[in-house]
Amino acid sequence: MTDTQWPRYEVFKQDLPGQPHKAVGSVHAPDAEMALLNARDVFARRPQVVSMWVAPASAVFSLTAEELAANPEFWQGTAVSPQPYALFAKRSQRRSMTFVEYAGEVVAESAQLAIKQALEDGRFQPETAIVWWAVPLSAISGSDPQDVDSYYAPATAKTYRQQSYYGFVSPTRKSVKREP
Amino acid sequence: MNEDPAKLAAFEARIARGEKIEPGDWMPAEYRRQLIRMISQHAHSEIVGMLPEGTWIPHAPNLRRKMVLMAKVQDEAGHGQYLYHAAETLGITREEMIDALLSGKAKYSSIFNYPTLSWPDVAWIGWLVDGAAIKNQTMLAQCSYGPYSRAMVRICAEETFHYKQGKEMIVQYMTQGTPRQKALVQDGLNRWWWPTLMMFGPHDSDSPNSAVLMRWGIKTKSNDALRQEFINEEVPEVLALGLTIPDPDLRFNAETGNWEIGPIDWDEFWRVVKGNGPMNAERLAARQKAHEDGRWVREAVAAYAKRTPEIGD
Ligand SMILES: [Fe+2]
Ligand SMILES: [Fe+2]
Repeated sequence: MTDTQWPRYEVFKQDLPGQPHKAVGSVHAPDAEMALLNARDVFARRPQVVSMWVAPASAVFSLTAEELAANPEFWQGTAVSPQPYALFAKRSQRRSMTFVEYAGEVVAESAQLAIKQALEDGRFQPETAIVWWAVPLSAISGSDPQDVDSYYAPATAKTYRQQSYYGFVSPTRKSVKREP
Repeated sequence: MNEDPAKLAAFEARIARGEKIEPGDWMPAEYRRQLIRMISQHAHSEIVGMLPEGTWIPHAPNLRRKMVLMAKVQDEAGHGQYLYHAAETLGITREEMIDALLSGKAKYSSIFNYPTLSWPDVAWIGWLVDGAAIKNQTMLAQCSYGPYSRAMVRICAEETFHYKQGKEMIVQYMTQGTPRQKALVQDGLNRWWWPTLMMFGPHDSDSPNSAVLMRWGIKTKSNDALRQEFINEEVPEVLALGLTIPDPDLRFNAETGNWEIGPIDWDEFWRVVKGNGPMNAERLAARQKAHEDGRWVREAVAAYAKRTPEIGD
């Protein structure tokens, strides 16, 4: 009946230069360009954002610690041809917005083999990973640095979107309790 | 439930350890079903929740209030999207959920089936309705399902702005307002108080899903416990402004430290849930119209995506 489905794109948001891009959720869009625009509307209404990446959800290979334990040879028979993959990892069970975040890149013959390499390669701290994502670099589209001013900078001036903008709003207390 | 007992035990042990269940992990079919039901209803509530306040955007009393209200309504659209996408990780599509909403099959929070009759209603929605939503959502931020929990953390941070901007307005009208403004504020409270208390859902004794939701860490507090927390926090604040809460039975119990309320009109609650509230038909019609009015935009972006790239594109 409706026509709103479109492919799903996973969205990765970078809050400050030098910080890793973090998976924040997804949007639907007919192409990567619209996905970046929708991602801005959905995930960048507040500061601070300096860059966003989108990748079609169909291009993401995901592996949880539970799946790895159930099938340690998950990479068997997956080799196709070598290409660079971006790796993302979730490393904490603490309550926070953080899911998988960018952990680095490897060249591998499949997404599964990219994660296998990360598990064997000390620089990815495999012992702390709870979820892995591998995404071919060719499937990732990033925001244009030239668009930062028009896409993400305006949010920094909209201070009335922040709860800290509203100080004294309790008739019985000096100040309202901070968020729980 | 015909689940593999070993898998179920391992799943429940993970929840007991405070681990988040992530997409790809094993989960009981009933856990998935309950989450899809809750998250999709929650998403619909955010989307329909734009309507009662959205109608007041053109009538905001000044530019600051207009910018604040637009920002709030945009946030609710964003919340709906976060939640549709959290539900999608469980195997339902956004299209199926939107179809269910537009066809009138889906449920959403009954509170949005009440009309906003004057500008201070916008302020009451911020204080009471967002305030009640924050209570529920703060609990759900601890939920055992990773994507729902993360969406809730993000949403709670934004809701606090919604709550504060509403409360700020009521405080302003009651401390600096004209007699007419104060009367409109009291009239709004008379209409929004009880429907807000109903937002927490039926009493625990009439809430068939509660036990399983608590056992699997989807909910960590009962409807009645959350409702009581909300009442205890907000009643003194409302009374301090010289307002009258429309409940003749309201009293403070010094022994328990609780504010006790009179009986909730559950007949009204179920009437609205079943589609016969004051605004049910209008809300549905507004969503259908918005969907139809947006069709040309969807067609345009789809055509743009299919275009043959120009040389140099
Ligand atoms: Fe919301
Ligand atoms: Fe809100």
